[in-house]
Amino acid sequence: MKQLIELNINGRNYEVAVNPRDLLIDVIRKKIGLTGTKKGCGEGDCGACTVLIDGKPELSCIKLAIACQGQKITTIEGLAQEDGSLHPLQQSFVDHGAVQCGFCTPGMIMSSKALLDRNPNPSPQEIKHELSGNICRCTGYKKIIEAVEAAAKVWSQEGVK
Amino acid sequence: MVMNHFEYFAPRTPAETLELLGRFGSKAKILAGGTDLMILMKNRAIQPECVIDINQVQDFRTIMCEPGQGAVIGTNVKLAEIQFSEALQAKYPALSYAAGEVGSAQVRHMASLGGNTCNASPAAETPTPLAALGTKVVLSSQSGDRELPLEQFITGVRQLGLNEGEMLTRFILPEPAPRSACRYAYMGRRDAMEIDSVNMAVNLELQPDGETIRNIKLVMGSVYPRPLVSQEVPALLNGQRLIDELIETAAAAAQGEAKPIDDIRATAEYRREIVKVLARRLIQETYAAAKGV
Amino acid sequence: MSQKDTGSKWNLTPQGWNLEGVPAYQDQTRYTQVGRSVPRVDAPAKVKGEAVYTGDMTLPGMAYGKIKRSPYAHAILKKIDISKAQELPGVLAVLTGAEAPNRWGIVPQTANETVLALDKVRFYGEGVAAVAAIDEETAEEALDLIEVEYEPLPVLLDPFESMERAHEVLIHEDSPGNIMHQGEQVYGDVDKAFSECAYVLEREFHTNYPQHGFLEPHTALASYDPQSGQMHVWSSTQVPHYLHRQLSIVLEIPMNKIRVTLPTIGGGFGGKGEASSAEFAACLLSRKIGRPVRVTYERSEVFYTNKGRHPAHMKLKMGLDQDGYIKAVDFDNTMDKGAYSGWGVVVLFYTASMMHLPYKVPNVRFRGRSVYTNKPSTGAMRGLGGVQPRFAMECLLDELAEMMGVSPYELKMKNAIESGHTAVNNMFVPHSEYKKCLQTAVEKSGYLEKRGRLPFGKGIGMAGGYYISGTAYTLYQNYKPHTSVMIRVDTEAGVTLFCAAADIGQGSNTVMAQMAAEELGVFYEDVHVQAGDTEIGAFDLGSFASRLTYASGAAIKMACVEINQKLKETAAGMLGVRADQLVIKKREIYSMYETKKRLPWEKAVEAYTSINGSLVGLGNFSPPRRKGIDMISGNRVQGANIGHSPTYGFSCQVHEVEVDVETGRIYVKKVTEAGDCGTPVNPMSVEGQVEGSILFNIGGCLYEDQKLDASGKHLNPNFHDYKMPTMMEMPEMDTNIVESYDPTAPFGVKETGEGAVQPTFPALVNAIYDAIGVRFYSLPITPEMILKALKEKKEKEG
Repeated sequence: MKQLIELNINGRNYEVAVNPRDLLIDVIRKKIGLTGTKKGCGEGDCGACTVLIDGKPELSCIKLAIACQGQKITTIEGLAQEDGSLHPLQQSFVDHGAVQCGFCTPGMIMSSKALLDRNPNPSPQEIKHELSGNICRCTGYKKIIEAVEAAAKVWSQEGVK
Repeated sequence: MVMNHFEYFAPRTPAETLELLGRFGSKAKILAGGTDLMILMKNRAIQPECVIDINQVQDFRTIMCEPGQGAVIGTNVKLAEIQFSEALQAKYPALSYAAGEVGSAQVRHMASLGGNTCNASPAAETPTPLAALGTKVVLSSQSGDRELPLEQFITGVRQLGLNEGEMLTRFILPEPAPRSACRYAYMGRRDAMEIDSVNMAVNLELQPDGETIRNIKLVMGSVYPRPLVSQEVPALLNGQRLIDELIETAAAAAQGEAKPIDDIRATAEYRREIVKVLARRLIQETYAAAKGV
Repeated sequence: MSQKDTGSKWNLTPQGWNLEGVPAYQDQTRYTQVGRSVPRVDAPAKVKGEAVYTGDMTLPGMAYGKIKRSPYAHAILKKIDISKAQELPGVLAVLTGAEAPNRWGIVPQTANETVLALDKVRFYGEGVAAVAAIDEETAEEALDLIEVEYEPLPVLLDPFESMERAHEVLIHEDSPGNIMHQGEQVYGDVDKAFSECAYVLEREFHTNYPQHGFLEPHTALASYDPQSGQMHVWSSTQVPHYLHRQLSIVLEIPMNKIRVTLPTIGGGFGGKGEASSAEFAACLLSRKIGRPVRVTYERSEVFYTNKGRHPAHMKLKMGLDQDGYIKAVDFDNTMDKGAYSGWGVVVLFYTASMMHLPYKVPNVRFRGRSVYTNKPSTGAMRGLGGVQPRFAMECLLDELAEMMGVSPYELKMKNAIESGHTAVNNMFVPHSEYKKCLQTAVEKSGYLEKRGRLPFGKGIGMAGGYYISGTAYTLYQNYKPHTSVMIRVDTEAGVTLFCAAADIGQGSNTVMAQMAAEELGVFYEDVHVQAGDTEIGAFDLGSFASRLTYASGAAIKMACVEINQKLKETAAGMLGVRADQLVIKKREIYSMYETKKRLPWEKAVEAYTSINGSLVGLGNFSPPRRKGIDMISGNRVQGANIGHSPTYGFSCQVHEVEVDVETGRIYVKKVTEAGDCGTPVNPMSVEGQVEGSILFNIGGCLYEDQKLDASGKHLNPNFHDYKMPTMMEMPEMDTNIVESYDPTAPFGVKETGEGAVQPTFPALVNAIYDAIGVRFYSLPITPEMILKALKEKKEKEG
């Protein structure tokens, strides 16, 4: 029943054997070994598993891996620069204390990236609206919003890919 | 839980899709966004033998929205596309708004308009404004297409007026009438990631005097097994100028028609109360918007 | 950033704040590392997705464990047939309860849980068997093949019904009346005091059944080495030590053959403050098959086995004299224990101790009982034992203020305790800035100007609160130090701090690095923290009771004494000055009188280690052992040791709300908070704790509640219908750290992780009262309750 498929993750092609029922999160975490994407609820309710698929934020815990062939998947591991320095969003999360236990952080950053890619100057209300699918139980969200706002400034001033 | 094993197909054209549907019929499930389907399968509420992934079918992903010609929206247009489409925002703000209030950003980028209807959840967001807007669904099979008003298509909780081998392929929205407006509102415990306890849409058209209601359509969600089109509100308001007492009467009438249930999210009593409040607010808001058009 | 002075507003000294430009000989008392908002040491790894949580780990040959759960909330386990499961290809082992019958529990006197049910299940979702298989899919398939025969018993879901029907149904055969524990504490002459009061009010309050909502589900990975008999467990726990002890009891392996290691932990809030079946099952299965086994819970399993906040049914009576001074409190509390005891006794008596602060109360009576029901057990949840009585007390004080015709602020200020206060139960408060908290929050929010003057539907409410900074006693009979810290200094690793403390996301590793750096005169980035490992780290009790900053701070200070002394002696020889005149700051050692006489700190380290080898300092912390006695009679009072703490944190919150009076929706618009956390070691972290706390309990007050049907089945074991606040629910938050320094505390620190949840319920409830004139006594406050109450109010007003 297993099929060999090719997944493009963070710019690299991976050949993996999957069952049709295999979920993207399990393939990314177990088969590819990229464990930065987290499983908090397994039902699409918490956003910890968010990855970008062709630039759009999607929930890898309710996404079939086999359905992702031919698409560009970006996980949290794909954000840092080639020299290992942090992406401005990552740096901003560090600097603003937007990270506590860190379990929501990868998903939160991926959702933030999708938002800023679409709109580099979001209003606070828009940030709230577009990130509300990422539950954080530690921070009360305030510092996350501050981090995204600060990153947005860098984004619009310097341009970020 | 782990899902059952199934066979996976990813057709590239509508014809291929319909051929597969014809072959597998009710043994197949169509995968668009999967935000409902995957959960049902993970909870083993359903165990389809095959899954037909329609995300490769470009025809299902198109929005046609030209001036004066209504709109045709493919079944697999993502809710986020409807939320952000400037053409749809301008012509059907109630629909764009409702699509933008579904679940979360991630859900909206995955979930499709067709899925939100075909999941046939009484609490679904977009069927309410779609029905209010007079939307028809196109049901396709290998033997051809047929059209059905959306409110007749959804027949009950998780029940659709679909024949074996048939699927919803697109939505046809009529061009809004001049001097008309449509608005949407909902109520839940939170302002995101919410299952609505009540949602509602009102579509209202004025006579050339810009004051008298020619036609009003009020649709309620989450208070009946399927989107509930009020019979009494048009009977009360069509041909009338809107005054406060009439609004109250109409809102009370809508409240009387609603047949909600108690569940973990809200009691029937509360839902009925909210129907009245939303009806009052929406009729006022839509009336004012129609006057402004 | 770290290598230069940050010019932070938190340049603290024990004598006062912002003492820039003080003479060099006072340098020793000016903080450079403590009081700085530095980024978390673990943040870069976390934002890159490189932090390794237990569920991210795989070991060679690792198998996957899953637990079979009961579909009944109360039933006799008649038969378990595991034969079919055992035959399934890929299944490596099946475990049943009989194989590990030893009872565990964090409070040993009441320990009554088993790894898997033995003869009876007591809540829906209780484990009855466990499987290890080559992959998760196979393990899950095997669960379906285990056949269990149950004989259902009556299900008791309400503590009052449980007590009433105890003659016909006992949840635990050894607990008559279905009462886990009950107790009475009487201080002073309460009845006489009430008879002399000018204002007396009594109300009943009911709290709900929220759970922690940490994002990382319980996960444990166990690896048993059959040759050495050594068990290594990686687990998402916040109490490595207590887990260690329970494992030893259940596995019947001495503690020195078990090692508990904490990878990165994805939140706890008390929910990982006890052992869980995930850990035991992983260990037992690993021992059976000689391979590593990992058990990761599904979110639904976290709900089924969660040890959330006790629903409390409280009667509170308070009396004031003519001038508004509190004279007496009578508190009766019935707590819903759920199925197993866990933290129960402790939580019960914490609620009692909450009556004694932050106000002066000379006469107090408490009667309480914790009652078994067929629900997931309740346990420790952020602000354990405090949140429920604080809700009652702060709301009742608001009502009393109204009775007297004064503002709640005036009444609370009047009764607020101050530094050096000894409560009637002998709880001693060395330092308090509670009044400053009240003042700051009230002034900054405009509470006095707004209260009673906002339009209908808008309201403002205030409440205060406090919490302990650690406990005075361990949960088992022992008087050993609660924390030990070992610091190693040498040229190879620089500074390494060893402590088994658990950083569960609150940032304790960063704070420990800051405190150690401060004391050693280096920078916080120089300190490598080896924490969360019972074998590598020196002893620590765990992350609960908001104890870690204080306890580890004290142990760090002690560990540094010897290190600094030896380095100073070495440097003294090199510089030709007296060792006692040397100061170590910012990686330099210099004479406080001849500041030109200086040398780099590393030089002294090099000189010392080249002669003596690595420099090691040991420190530990034992809290003061104050007895829970009646200060008037001197008599011991049962359970009254619980609640004692080396020091206490205080805070005040003012909430502003808007109520949609037609839909009943409550919108929290703004929260103004002021907190006394002593010295904020990392102010940015303090803010994060406070902001998180506020939203945590806004959730508990307005949205969150676990629901069970009549058979005890969990109705919302998911984040879909268990509604935690999203970003959309976040109000504007203005949090303020008031100037505070506890001279008895290491670096002047106090707690902040749990104190800030205390005032949220009552402040919000008081604000709703100000908005619509209706007082609520039950939580959560739903839109339906608002509409119903408004309707009743309208009818009453006619």
